[in-house]
Amino acid sequence: MYGRKACQLVKELASGEKGQLTPYNSDLFDQVIAECSQHHLELQSLIRKMQEEGLDVQTTRNADHYGALIHHLSLVRNKRCLMAYMYNRAEIIRSLIWKVGPVLPQQIQEKLSHTEEEYFKKHSGALQSYMSRLDLDLTVDMVPPKDPYIQVRVLDDIGVVLSDDKTTNFACHSMHFLKRTDAEQFISRGLMEELTG
Amino acid sequence: MAKYYDIDDIITDEEIVAVIFQKAASGVGIDPSSETDCVEVGSKVELPFWLAHELQQRQAVSMNIPTSFNQNTRLEIQADSACVDLRSQCPYFYEFGCKIAPLVGARNIGPLLLSAFKSRYKEVLTKAHTAAFTAASKNLTILTKEETNLYEAAQSSMAAFKKWRMGGPRFQKASILGRKRKSNE
Amino acid sequence: MASEAGEGSTAGMDDYETLISTTDVELLKKAWRNEKAAPEILRFETSLIQRIRGQIQLMEENIEEFAGSGIDPLTVSLYQMDLDRTQYLFRSYLRIRLQKIEKYMFHISKNPEVQSRLSEQEKGFARRCADDMERHLEESVLSKLPDNYQDIVKQSIISEESDMIPEPQLDSFVVCKSRRFLGPFQLDGSDELLEMKPDELCIIHYKSIRERVQEGDIDLV
Repeated sequence: MYGRKACQLVKELASGEKGQLTPYNSDLFDQVIAECSQHHLELQSLIRKMQEEGLDVQTTRNADHYGALIHHLSLVRNKRCLMAYMYNRAEIIRSLIWKVGPVLPQQIQEKLSHTEEEYFKKHSGALQSYMSRLDLDLTVDMVPPKDPYIQVRVLDDIGVVLSDDKTTNFACHSMHFLKRTDAEQFISRGLMEELTG
Repeated sequence: MAKYYDIDDIITDEEIVAVIFQKAASGVGIDPSSETDCVEVGSKVELPFWLAHELQQRQAVSMNIPTSFNQNTRLEIQADSACVDLRSQCPYFYEFGCKIAPLVGARNIGPLLLSAFKSRYKEVLTKAHTAAFTAASKNLTILTKEETNLYEAAQSSMAAFKKWRMGGPRFQKASILGRKRKSNE
Repeated sequence: MASEAGEGSTAGMDDYETLISTTDVELLKKAWRNEKAAPEILRFETSLIQRIRGQIQLMEENIEEFAGSGIDPLTVSLYQMDLDRTQYLFRSYLRIRLQKIEKYMFHISKNPEVQSRLSEQEKGFARRCADDMERHLEESVLSKLPDNYQDIVKQSIISEESDMIPEPQLDSFVVCKSRRFLGPFQLDGSDELLEMKPDELCIIHYKSIRERVQEGDIDLV
């Protein structure tokens, strides 16, 4: 109670490596929600006690008032921690869309709550909508250009891909000389690696 | 609140402060030494800063200077700041110091923070990038959150610079997907 | 670009020189740098972006022609690299702005002045962003909290004003410089005066020079 579990939730998120998601902790989250209800009940019963004693709740400053105040402040603190937990996770989810595109990788999906998966899809859609209104793909060209073409090795069996006016077979271990912007997303998703030297 | 969702701000606000209750409060179990769920006037209780701060604003409690900023710590820092393990004492030393200074009427916290930062920056952070220093990496474990951020920022700048100079792959797998490469050999 | 009267004849000469050496790409670079360094979102450079888009398209068409007409491939690749660099700046400029919109979506949705700095498409994106986030937070947190604590901008029903909105930190420090001699001029929000020599770097609170950046007198680095 009194914000301790709520802060634990936030600290757990902060303990992950920067930009990494920890698995959604639904147990702890629900415990904090339960504590909010608890604080609210206690708050209401203290207020009721004051009303029954014929005191003006708005202006009276007795022990019950300060008790109610502490419960209220704890509730507000819990709310802040819960909101920050979801909000900061949502921020990481948004940065994901920039890096790996509109398809959610399995290993990330396991760490998300159901609502978070929905949020990923919705925000992905919002971004796609903006980009298509401009007829522009903003998820490529993330690194300042040095060479227009780079050499890559395929790490995972990508298969046959249609691009421009030719088809290429990106078989595992094969090497290719690709346009920077074409290779970018594959590399970001771990499906190819850049070769140098 | 411009920093409402800021995680560091939230964690800083959880730092413990000793307070003395100026008013009684009932129906709350925050005083572990009390046998009832009431807090008496004059009780000394340890509260998280977010609660202590709000209660002091309403004159229900008065805050004492936290241990991280008291006389003993001050002497320690003045003696040899680079060795003080601030992380285990108070990982958000500077942020918390800034928040608490105006509230406990201690005018020497500000100068303490400044001198601690200056000398620790000189002794620890500037040297942290030499090979010999990083080998004795225990020095990094004493850094506060803010100092660690500075250290990491410098590290990544340096790495980026070296990469720029020496070439090498400029595209990388997204860090969120983890560092272990799936081996299919 | 605003020019100030009464600064002497050298200022007039500077303006002329700046005018003839500034290409749209340089303007884009300046806009990109400012956007990168500023803590808040700046005014969208509508006409500049429109011109850049047109120029990119022209460059693409030219390069295709050159490649087909047997011009020396080295020359073609030089043009290609030039185009690549412009495209990078262009995309990066738009990206940085989108990321700022994502970061301060609630602040933007409650602030018509900030909204006026966005392009039409950005406004649409900002609206969707805020709506999606609001729904997400309502579903995962707010709907599960007690009544009186379910608002998305007020911590509780007794909050006097919206106290949950993240805002850009306008007092963060930025590195800036001016192309011409400036001042002494008054800093925004204070009585202090500052003087800047051309190309001299200055580290200062962003909010002190906010208007000057908007008017193009000071560039962020």
